Amino acid sequence: MALSEKDIELKIREEAKKALATGEVSCVIGWTTTRFPDKMKPFFAETEAECDELVWNKYCINGTAKYALDDRYPSKKFAIIARGCDSRAINRMLKDKQLLRENLYIIGVVCDGKENPICEECQHKNPLTYDVLIGEPVPEQIDEKRFAEVEAFEKLSPDEKYEYWAKQYDKCIHCYACRNACPACNCVECYADQYRTGWQGKASDRIQNQVYGLTRAFHVGDRCIECGECERVCPMGLPIMRQTRKMLKDINDLFGDYECGMPDDAMPVLGGYTLADPDEFM
Amino acid sequence: MARIGVFICHCGTNIAATVDVEAVAAAAREFPNVAFATTYKYMCSEPGQAMIKESIEDYNLDRIVIASCSPRMHELTFRKMLKGTKINPYMLEIANIREQCAWVHTDRAKATEKAIDHVKMAVAKVGKDKPLTTSTIPITKRALVIGGGIAGIQAALDIADAGFDVTIVEKEPSIGGHMVMLDKTFPTMDCSACISTPKMVDAGAHPNITLKTSCEVEKVEGYVGNFEVTIKEKAKYVNHDLCTGCGLCQTKCPTKVPSEFNQGIGTRPAIYIPFAQAVPSKPVIDPTCCLKLTKDKCGICEKVCPLQAINYKDETKYTTEKYGAIVVATGYELVDWAKMYPEYGGGKYADVITGLQFERLVNASGPTEGHIVRPSDGKEPKDVVIVKCVGSRDQNKGKSYCSRACCMYSAKHAHQILDKIPGSNVYIFYMDVRTPGKGYEEFYDNTRADGAQYIRGRVSKIFKEGDKLICKGEDTLLGKQVTVEADMVILATAMEPAANIADVAGKLGISIDSDRWVTEAHPKLRPVETQTGGVFLCGTCQGPKDIPDTVAQAGAAAAKVMALLNHDEMETSPMISSVDQTKCSGCGYCVEVCPYKAISLIQVPGRDGNRKVTKTVADVNSGLCQGCGCCAATCRTGCIDLKGYTNEQILKEVDALCQ
Ligand SMILES: Cc1cc2nc3c(=O)[nH]c(=O)nc-3n(C[C@H](O)[C@H](O)[C@H](O)COP(=O)(O)OP(=O)(O)OC[C@H]3O[C@@H](n4cnc5c(N)ncnc54)[C@H](O)[C@@H]3O)c2cc1C
Ligand code: SF4
Ligand code: SF4
Repeated sequence: MALSEKDIELKIREEAKKALATGEVSCVIGWTTTRFPDKMKPFFAETEAECDELVWNKYCINGTAKYALDDRYPSKKFAIIARGCDSRAINRMLKDKQLLRENLYIIGVVCDGKENPICEECQHKNPLTYDVLIGEPVPEQIDEKRFAEVEAFEKLSPDEKYEYWAKQYDKCIHCYACRNACPACNCVECYADQYRTGWQGKASDRIQNQVYGLTRAFHVGDRCIECGECERVCPMGLPIMRQTRKMLKDINDLFGDYECGMPDDAMPVLGGYTLADPDEFM
Repeated sequence: MARIGVFICHCGTNIAATVDVEAVAAAAREFPNVAFATTYKYMCSEPGQAMIKESIEDYNLDRIVIASCSPRMHELTFRKMLKGTKINPYMLEIANIREQCAWVHTDRAKATEKAIDHVKMAVAKVGKDKPLTTSTIPITKRALVIGGGIAGIQAALDIADAGFDVTIVEKEPSIGGHMVMLDKTFPTMDCSACISTPKMVDAGAHPNITLKTSCEVEKVEGYVGNFEVTIKEKAKYVNHDLCTGCGLCQTKCPTKVPSEFNQGIGTRPAIYIPFAQAVPSKPVIDPTCCLKLTKDKCGICEKVCPLQAINYKDETKYTTEKYGAIVVATGYELVDWAKMYPEYGGGKYADVITGLQFERLVNASGPTEGHIVRPSDGKEPKDVVIVKCVGSRDQNKGKSYCSRACCMYSAKHAHQILDKIPGSNVYIFYMDVRTPGKGYEEFYDNTRADGAQYIRGRVSKIFKEGDKLICKGEDTLLGKQVTVEADMVILATAMEPAANIADVAGKLGISIDSDRWVTEAHPKLRPVETQTGGVFLCGTCQGPKDIPDTVAQAGAAAAKVMALLNHDEMETSPMISSVDQTKCSGCGYCVEVCPYKAISLIQVPGRDGNRKVTKTVADVNSGLCQGCGCCAATCRTGCIDLKGYTNEQILKEVDALCQ
């Protein structure tokens, strides 16, 4: 029988306490309440008492994994409450060598979706990587409409597309929220933060905003795990996922079925060199 | 502040006819930091270079832009020129206004505009040039040759004669490759064994050559001048230090399997010396068919060996050695035609054979002692069909390329049949006859004079009717169908690279093309070099060719090796990549994309806030890096720079163009 929301919450607290009790874990990353009943916030439980503040409900939306990057050289482990999307984010950062598996204790939770539109497209309700699992694994669905939006958009003329994105980037305020939330944006020093290199102009105008958007799309293009955090956190409502999905669609067309954040050894398509790579143009 | 000189070349009329060079110079004078700009008829000529040197002094220039031909042509020339001046040879940019401008445009006004843009970009870039210095690395004066066919043997002999140690690694139990299987060689018809076995013996006896047969390259580390190669020696089960090659064992061995050397016509025992003239002339045991090794029975060879050289417990051995240069000479194989052409019987008719099988058939030391007979019943064939381009020049079923030797060896085969079997008829189905070699056309003429009948067209089907092989095809010159009833059919099958070439190339960090032939560094100007420094190629591993071309190429590769090994140390190009380790995230994607395995992740002490931590960062091995820039393009943080093409320089060029 499937566990109720309350059962899961209790189990999470129990597992969190167990993890802390080992003495190897510094804190458990999950969610807790705010003064709004329909808003939960990320929470770092460091004591047994704090573990009882951890919650699980349909408003637990924020990704939990990326907080592990806040301390890149931890003396103890982080325990992470990980849904399917969070586990893929962890896999992303593991493959990008930004996290070490031995520094993580992953409390996987089967998730049947939150109050977040992206969850309707979710192909991984079951965590892919974990140390303990809460909940019974459920059958996964294939998202038939994964690229539907991109396909429709591709039909527009180049001018129409340009016009669309130019308008979108007129709204962008250059706040880098999308980057900060993205588990694939995990560089120690983002190119956009560097001064005097000439990569990214600091002005917030159409051109510089577009340069930023395009560069980010390419930087995460073959590594995006489709968690939708970028688009969710954007204060100006830019449809950012449409860019990464376009990249992923092209990769699917060129290289075959492709999805990131899986617990396999496959490198991102643009992040490797094999002898089979065609080089007849050289 | 930089003081830039801009020198615009007319290249005779090559550039000046399409580009208004004076207008380019006038425009250049207006660019920031340009202290002097002029034009000249031939910048690369002696007076041209003297003029540049004088201008450097007269105008106190500290860096220069030369607008001329491709940097591939003369960048080195001008760098050498700068060596004699106060300017560092790397404070130079070439704007390619010939190949990328004058030669590809006709509209003078627009071409001039484009040339100005090229110069503008080069001026922007040169402003950020930094002096670079070369460093030197020591050279191990030994060479490794991979593959012991005629290419490998010739290269090894040449290098060894120059006084350097050479190791030949050959995967088979004997060196010799394909040439020693051949009977006679076109166009002179000298006996192949008579001209190749003396070379094999020389290689075996040369004081500077070490033969490593039944061996393959397992691992290659290091870089030009300093390769560290692990060689895998397959178990031979015979101690070659004891064995004298008396051959008694092979006469007693009860096992019989098809002989590779005789291309499946005839058999060999499980313990065998591949052929009479093999070098080394000592047997090995084939573990896949030896009764002792497969079923723990027999053991007769151990009993008969007068020197107790047999060792059934022999194992694969690994040795690691250092070399300064490597020559790839892994040769070719013939395509598996039976899979490609089921319409030719797909291998079910014994009398449809390949050209190589025919070579064994006509060879006096072959399985039939040189009598041309049908493999099926031992009868002498009267009507023989030769089908050319089987698998070659066939985009649908085979390879798109021409295998180059087949036109000539098919003519040779026709000549041999007509010569040896009185009253015989030979029909050659062909697409074209290609004879571009000295004496080749004459050879083909003679074969036709002998009576060979050339039919232009492909054979569409071969099937058996009674004793005969019915070959149906089209004579495209007459535009009608033809049917020939043949006693035997010889297929001139396509050459393809050695089966494991991708693996070998991967270990060496060299590239292969879509047909898997090894790619040379430049098809015309660096034909025996690969993109990896210190790795050279020769023979058919690079593409189909005949023996004269193979041997010539082997000599060329040997000359390059000798030029390299002749130095005690070598200069390395300073235009390699470098990592800003303070920014590096240690993601390791650069490690993955580097085709030369030049980058590794290392641990360095660092700080995170007020803590001391150990950081993982990328590190470039300057000996291995070839400056391709893949890593720089991959690094998202932008912390890898290719010296001479830094991110900053490229961005400056883009800015200049977009202004
Ligand atoms: C039927 C036929 C007839 C021909 N007749 C003529 C002729 O009359 N005249 C003429 O000029 N040319 C002729 N040729 C062409 C001739 O055979 C070649 O030009 C020549 O043999 C090429 O020599 P090679 O050393 O490049 O290659 P190969 O002879 O193929 O030698 C390559 C060697 O490398 C070894 N090797 C491969 N991979 C590895 C590895 N990974 N590690 C170690 N060793 C390896 C192989 O075992 C082999 O010994 C003919 C070809 C055919 C098919
Ligand atoms: S969906 Fe957005 S936030 Fe998530 S991985 Fe992709 S780019 Fe990053
Ligand atoms: S430039 Fe970078 S990718 Fe290219 S060889 Fe050097 S280290 Fe490797």
